[in-house]
This record gives sequence, structure tokens and C-alpha cells, in this order.
Amino acid sequence: MDVLGSLQYLATGFGVATTPENLFYCLAGAIVGTLVGVLPGLGPIAGIALLIPATFNLNATSAIIMLAGIYYGAMYGGSTTSILINVPGETASVMTCIDGYQMARKGRAGPALALCAIGSFVAGGLAILGLAFLAPPLAEAALAFGPPEFFSLMVFGFVVLSNVTGGSLIKSLMMALVGLIIGTIGLDPVSGNPRFTFGYVSLLGGIEFVAVAIGLFGIGEVLVNAEQPAEILEQRVLVPRFRDLYPNLQDLKQSLGPILRGTGIGFGVGLVPGPAPVIATYASYMVEKRISDHPEEFGHGAIEGVAGPESANNAACQSAFIPLFVLGIPFAPPTAILLGALLIHGVNPGPAMIAEHPQLFWGVVASMYIGNFILLLLNLPFVPLFANILRIPKKVLLPLVMLFCLTGMYSVNNFMLDLWVMLGCGALGYLMRKWAYEGAPLLLALVLGPKLEVAFRQSLMISHGAFNIFVERPVSLVFLLATLGFLLLPLFRYTVRSLGRGRAAAA
Amino acid sequence: MTPAVLLLLFGAVTAGLSLQIRVGTLRAPGSGFFPFYLGLLLILLAAIRLAQLWREGRSLPGGDQGAAAQGSWQRVLLFLGATVLATGLLTVLGYPVAAFLLMALLLHILGVRRWTHVVAIALCAAGVSYALFVRWLQIPLPMGGFGL
Repeated sequence: MDVLGSLQYLATGFGVATTPENLFYCLAGAIVGTLVGVLPGLGPIAGIALLIPATFNLNATSAIIMLAGIYYGAMYGGSTTSILINVPGETASVMTCIDGYQMARKGRAGPALALCAIGSFVAGGLAILGLAFLAPPLAEAALAFGPPEFFSLMVFGFVVLSNVTGGSLIKSLMMALVGLIIGTIGLDPVSGNPRFTFGYVSLLGGIEFVAVAIGLFGIGEVLVNAEQPAEILEQRVLVPRFRDLYPNLQDLKQSLGPILRGTGIGFGVGLVPGPAPVIATYASYMVEKRISDHPEEFGHGAIEGVAGPESANNAACQSAFIPLFVLGIPFAPPTAILLGALLIHGVNPGPAMIAEHPQLFWGVVASMYIGNFILLLLNLPFVPLFANILRIPKKVLLPLVMLFCLTGMYSVNNFMLDLWVMLGCGALGYLMRKWAYEGAPLLLALVLGPKLEVAFRQSLMISHGAFNIFVERPVSLVFLLATLGFLLLPLFRYTVRSLGRGRAAAA
Repeated sequence: MTPAVLLLLFGAVTAGLSLQIRVGTLRAPGSGFFPFYLGLLLILLAAIRLAQLWREGRSLPGGDQGAAAQGSWQRVLLFLGATVLATGLLTVLGYPVAAFLLMALLLHILGVRRWTHVVAIALCAAGVSYALFVRWLQIPLPMGGFGL
């Protein structure tokens, strides 16, 4: 697809996105996303999952417009709490706390918040441009992928995700395996035989991934918060006055570089498996600190340390849509939930999706422009309004989130079993937090499990049971070699370290 | 130590149950093929993890402890227990009453001491969620014997 063709499609997309109905859902997604971002304890993952039932009566395009809005909206909202109260609203805003809160303490909360919004807007806009022009040609290339390529790509995705989510690689890989095993409950996707249902008809459809998502990431977080000492639960937040929201020319000049660099870093990171927005903010902060003329200001309210990471997380969350739309393979939990939402609406994402559902793809892309614009407006003048939500003490907020999770979950299928699965996963999520096990690989594996199994078994059917089909096809081989590299990396590091230690001991 | 042992058991149970389904061969994999090997792989990784912990364990007791455990886990247990209770009673009591019960219990557990506050907040939350989910979104939540 050439550039001109893309522009034409984009124009059609704007036609789709600007219908009053879709504008409304875009606005709704942006508002909910900002709220989810502002509220500590409710992140984009649980937020998107909870709102899926509200999209049941919508067509697929409106549904994805709204759910995608929650994801990138949360990136805007998350910075608010980081700057104002030094508590990240969601994980992608952790880096913003460092310099953002220091700026707020010096009475510059206004410019910090404004630059977050502006940086997010610029980064979002540029990244969507990348999405619009890169996705279609990539999808065409990916049409040549067969089951072996998809299998190897997914294995690669799991290993990279497990490697970058932090903590121990082996623990993350075990979580991915648990997710894959839970994903086999229900009907075998190839032969249609029931597996692990223990005779229960309600298990034939498998374990509802929305229940697992809300349980692990929503309820688990609520439980971790409920454990905190009474003083924290009592705490009320004093929202500072906004004397001056608008940054001066000097601020803007200083931020331009970090915003553009953050966009580039974020866009690249978003294409790779992993919690892209989180890694992107970290990378951007490190880069800004390294190239700065005054690195000593970082940690004491350097505006570059706010503008860069906040732009990076937005760019990353936009470019994370590329693997989802091009390959049908999400690389992180929020896009995994969006994949689930697409499936619910009868759209099977994959290389053929852009060609088969052009209104959906281009409508969603166009809506992202509109959504970013809405978010800029929401976050500049209305920041004090959203910040007021923080005045609700946690001891009231946590029960409300619990009630909302239970009710929201019930409305997905009107099914009591889902509530129990969700509560069980909530307890599991709490324990995993205690034992430092990551939830992301589990959730991703649960969503991708059936796809992985189908790809694996189809490959073996093609090759009549010969394993070498995975290494004889060049694309598949490349992915597998890369996977091997990532698996051996920690071992290599370990060896180097112990060699070094041995030498030091000898010396 | 505990999580690795639990994961090892989970892998073993999965592999064992898969054997009953029909694993098949590479040429003709059955329904149990995929879960069986996933189970085996999980056993292998958990065993490696246990070996790691065993080696670390001598120098670092409790090496598997993650985030610093502070605060009261009893409160978490109460919190979860109250939620399980309210969820279990959902079909009997009906949504509005169960929602009120859930809110009241959780608020109390988290330390909202004045009972007037507990009742007022719980009533508001139950009322608003009833209006939103049942009346507006038309979700067929169980209504219990009250038939509201």
C-alpha cells in the first residue's frame, strides 16, 4: 500500500471516527482512561477489562475506539498523581514522580502537568502517524506467515516479555506456562474434545480471561492496598492550588528535545514484547539524564525528566497497537485484552485484518488523533477537577473499586462462576505480588495459548510430525535463534560475573 | 520455597491429568499433547528454581520473599473473606442488599469507625450502582427475594 493510498484510507477513517456516535465513545474512553490513570490501584488493564461489557451493544469499531481510548488516556492521567502527590497512578508514570513531584514542591506543578499533556499529545500524534503508515505494509509482509512462523514468533514474544518484565526470568517463564495451561481448559481448539472440565458444562467455554485480568490486576492491587497501615488508608491528599498552569517559553524550549527523543524511544520500544510504556519511560529518563548539560538537576525538578518519559509512554502505547493490528499478536497485557475484545466482536486480528476491516483499522487510527486532542483539552484546563478525585481516602476508594469489579465482571457473561474465578485470581495476584511473580506473562499466555497451540499442531500436521519445520523456514528460524539468545543471555551474564569474581578472588 | 513447590505440583497434576486425555504422538498429537508437555516443562523449570533457591538458601534465608511484607495480612484475609461472603449471598439477598452488605463490611474492615458514615457511604454506593447497572445498563443481576 502506497502513501497516497494510506492517506485516502485515513480520510475515510476520519469519516468513521467523526460520526457523533464514535465521537461520543472516543470522549467516553478518554474520560474513563484519565480516571483510571488518576486512581491509584486501578490501572489500564483492569480499566479496559471492566469496560468490555459496556461495549457489547456496540459495533466493533466503536467498541475498540472506546477501549483504545482508555489505554492511551490512562497514560495522560497517570502523570497527574505522580506530579501532585508523588504516587504513580499507574506503572508507566513511576519515572515522572522523580522530577515531577520536585517541580510541584517548588510551586511548578502547573507547568509540569501542562508539559506532560503537551508532550503526550505531540508523541501520541507522531506515533499514530507511524502506526498509520507502517502497519499496512507490515501486514502485507506478514501475510506470508504460516503456522510455524506464528508459533516461533509467539514463543519469542513470551521469552522476551519474561526477560524484560523484571525479576527472575525463570519465574516469569513459569508464569507464562501457568497461563498456557489455564488456557487449555475448555474445548480443544483443534479436535473439539473437552479438556480439564471435570464434567462441568460451564467450563467448556474455557476460563474467562476478563475474570483473570480483573482478578490479577484489579482485585490483587486492591488487596495489596488493603494491607497498608491505617495512616495511609486514612490519608487525604492536599491538592495544591494551580496558580499558573501554563509553562513559559523557556520551559517549552527545554522540553522540545526530550519530547521528540521520548517519542522515538517510545515508538521503538512499543514494537517489542514487554510492558512497553514502563520500559520506554525508564529508557527516556536515562537518556535525558545522560545527555543533559546539567545532570545534577535530575531528581530536583528537571523539566526534561518529566517531558521525556511522559512523551515516551504515550508513543509506546500507540505503537504497541502495531503488533496487535499487524500480527494479531499482542505483546503486553493491555493489548492482549483488546485482542480479547476484538474476538468478542467477531473480528479476528491478523495480517488480513487491515484489508478485511478497513473501517475498523482506519477508524480507530483516526479516532486516536481525535482522542489525543480531547485528552489535551481534558488535561489542561480540567486537571484540577480530576485531581479532586484524589481527595477520596483509600479506605473508601478500595471498597468502591471492589464493588465495581464484582458488578462489572458479572455483567460480562451474567455468570456466577466468573466472579469466583476473579476472586480466586485476586487472591493469586496478591500472593504473586508477595512472592514477586509477574502477572503479565500469565495473562498474555492465557490469551495467546489457544493460538499458540493451534499454530503448533497445524505446523506438525503440515510437516507430518517432523519438528524441523520450525527451523527449515527462515523467518521461523530467525525467531527461534533470537529466543535462544534471550534465554542464554542471563546464563552468559552469570558466567561472566562468576568468572570476574573468581579472578578478583585470585588477585 | 513455597511458590516453587506449588508450581511443581501444578505441573505434575497437569501432566498427570493430560495422560488421561490421550497425548498421541508428534505425527498425530492428541488433545492431551500440548498440556502434557507444558506440564513437564513447568516441572522442569520449577525444579531448576528449587535448585537455585536451595543454593541461595544457605547464604540468604527466605530468598524467595518479594516485596517487603509489612502491614497486616489479617486485614487482607478479612477483606477477602467479606467479599467472598457478600458474593456467596448475592443470589440469595439480591444485588442491592448484597452490594450494601459488601460496602458496609469492607468500609468497617478498612477502619471507617463511625457507623453512620459506614451506612451512609454503603447506601449511596449500593444505590448508585443499582441505578447504573440495573436500571440504566439493564444488566440482569440477581434480585433475590426482594424483587426490586
